[in-house]
Amino acid sequence: MQYGENIRLALKGLTDHKFRSFLTMLGIIFGVASVITMLSIGEGAKREAIAKYQDLGVNNIIIREKSLSDSELEDVRAKFSQGLSIQDARVIQEIVPGVEKIASQAEKSSDVKYNDKSVKSTIIGITPDFLGMMNYSVEKGYLINKNHYDKRLKVCVLGAGIAATFFKGEEPVGQMVKIDDQWLEVIGVLKTKSLFTETVGELAARDLNTDVYVPLSLFLNRFTPENILASQIQQITVQINNSDKLMEASKIIDEILKRHHFNNDDYSIVIPFELLKQEEKERQIYNILLGAIAAISLLVGGIGIMNIMLATVMERTREIGIRRAVGARKVDIMSQFVTESVAISITGGIIGVLIGVLLSLTVTLFTDITTFIKPYSVLVAFSFSVIVGVSFGYLPAKNAANLKPVDSIRHE
Amino acid sequence: MLIEIKELKKNYSLGSSEIPVIHGINLNIKKNEYVAIMGPSGSGKSTLMNILGCLDTASSGHYFLNNVDVSTLDDDALSIMRNKEIGFIFQNFNLLPRLNAIQNVELPLIYSGTPAHERREKALQALEKVALTDRIHHKPNELSGGQRQRVAIARALVTNPGILLADEPTGALDSKTGVEIMRLFDDLHREGNTIILITHEQEIANYAHRSIYLKDGMIHSDQLNTQQKKQF
Repeated sequence: MQYGENIRLALKGLTDHKFRSFLTMLGIIFGVASVITMLSIGEGAKREAIAKYQDLGVNNIIIREKSLSDSELEDVRAKFSQGLSIQDARVIQEIVPGVEKIASQAEKSSDVKYNDKSVKSTIIGITPDFLGMMNYSVEKGYLINKNHYDKRLKVCVLGAGIAATFFKGEEPVGQMVKIDDQWLEVIGVLKTKSLFTETVGELAARDLNTDVYVPLSLFLNRFTPENILASQIQQITVQINNSDKLMEASKIIDEILKRHHFNNDDYSIVIPFELLKQEEKERQIYNILLGAIAAISLLVGGIGIMNIMLATVMERTREIGIRRAVGARKVDIMSQFVTESVAISITGGIIGVLIGVLLSLTVTLFTDITTFIKPYSVLVAFSFSVIVGVSFGYLPAKNAANLKPVDSIRHE
Repeated sequence: MLIEIKELKKNYSLGSSEIPVIHGINLNIKKNEYVAIMGPSGSGKSTLMNILGCLDTASSGHYFLNNVDVSTLDDDALSIMRNKEIGFIFQNFNLLPRLNAIQNVELPLIYSGTPAHERREKALQALEKVALTDRIHHKPNELSGGQRQRVAIARALVTNPGILLADEPTGALDSKTGVEIMRLFDDLHREGNTIILITHEQEIANYAHRSIYLKDGMIHSDQLNTQQKKQF
């Protein structure tokens, strides 16, 4: 018997009993929809985490000054530590193997003024490599380069947010802004960065789009620190050429800094990549849980199909008898019923995929949960529904095929 | 010889005991014979028809159909045998209610793997033979009893089988329609078909050319009909 006949027959069966088919499909529809929604929520969380850590650079080690109270700071200084310094950065670059680039940054909070507008911002003094290392790129103009740094030029690069506040529709590049008592020329505007909403290690959560970047040389020369005891710089970012060497390198860095800071615990080392791996591990448990729930709903859907198919076989004993009498082999009957249950599960699967996609979009639209639908997850959910159709249709189909033709044809 | 039956026995097991239904039958039927098998209920005629139609197998003995020993065939081979060699006509028509007339007639051809356009053609030819070409798109419940039986006969004819096996073909019809159906059988017989008629009505059996009378699972009598109804 040709396979096309089976499919035609199965579809006819579906459309003949629309409501019953729909009820049968319901389990599969919910199962597939929940698989897709759950996977999309899991994937969304994963991508959010990756984006967050990518902003910190996956091959980077971040050495950050610890935020200490005034008395703690006095205590540390009394024990001879000068805090993080450009000298620390230089030593790390010389000693630690595999260092590709290194960037120092100093920070202070200040008001940035343009005309009559004023924005509270973090002023960050950076070395030329910094923006490149952090994958920052400009929307307009250009980044701070070696020339600016070496000549201590009074230039700055603005975050997207602050630029938008200052220059609505105006061309920002070439304008002068005032920070403390210094006038600086805007040479570039960064692309919008995703909000940094979580505190990672010593890195505080804040809106990176209001930052203003100036050459570190200028910063150290022209701006007064917030505190007389403040360290020279607040952060050193080290880029390692191989992400497998991150742990090793961070241990060496720790050794060096301990020595240079006279065993004072006034810095912390953050490895974004390690944090990412750790977070992923934690999330895996969630994903397994979500997957199990979805699998159970698919299973229940499959049992629903089996239940209806078993009833259908009973109800259609006579039909099976007639088909057998005119020459249908067991395998013909079998494939007819399997095709029918697969048709139910495939149709349910398609509807489930559509509902799942809609549900994910709704979740994104009405909550702040990020969702992302991978084509792969659609494929998984869909093939799962087909497998459910085949495996739960098998038993009823086998029952149908094993009916004795002589009995079933006389079945009333 | 089209059908050759040797020492055929059939027992049904009921719990632990075996109940014999057919006690050893020997029977030969030639091509283009028109045979009526008669007998009271419980005589084993239905069982015999099931075995003749390859719906059931004998407990012992041999049944040769077209020189093939059916008793040795497995389920698949029996299915193919039913498909190619047997055309069933039932008392209650046994049409599929969701299919229309022509789809019902095409059904055996689907299982023989005939391509769609050829199926259609053969089904139309078969419906022509039973004079029902004007209602081919009607579902069984839109047809009268006589018309349904014609569809069933067309379905039996469509594969050009060796035997037409009719089980009480007029049992569910009024006498006038019954006569029409029996005339159709006469025509089919004249065209060269072999017909085996299972009935308990003498009047219907009289249309056949040979009557076999079963009693208690054995052939009680087997004779040629002398007083055939010739009502033309």
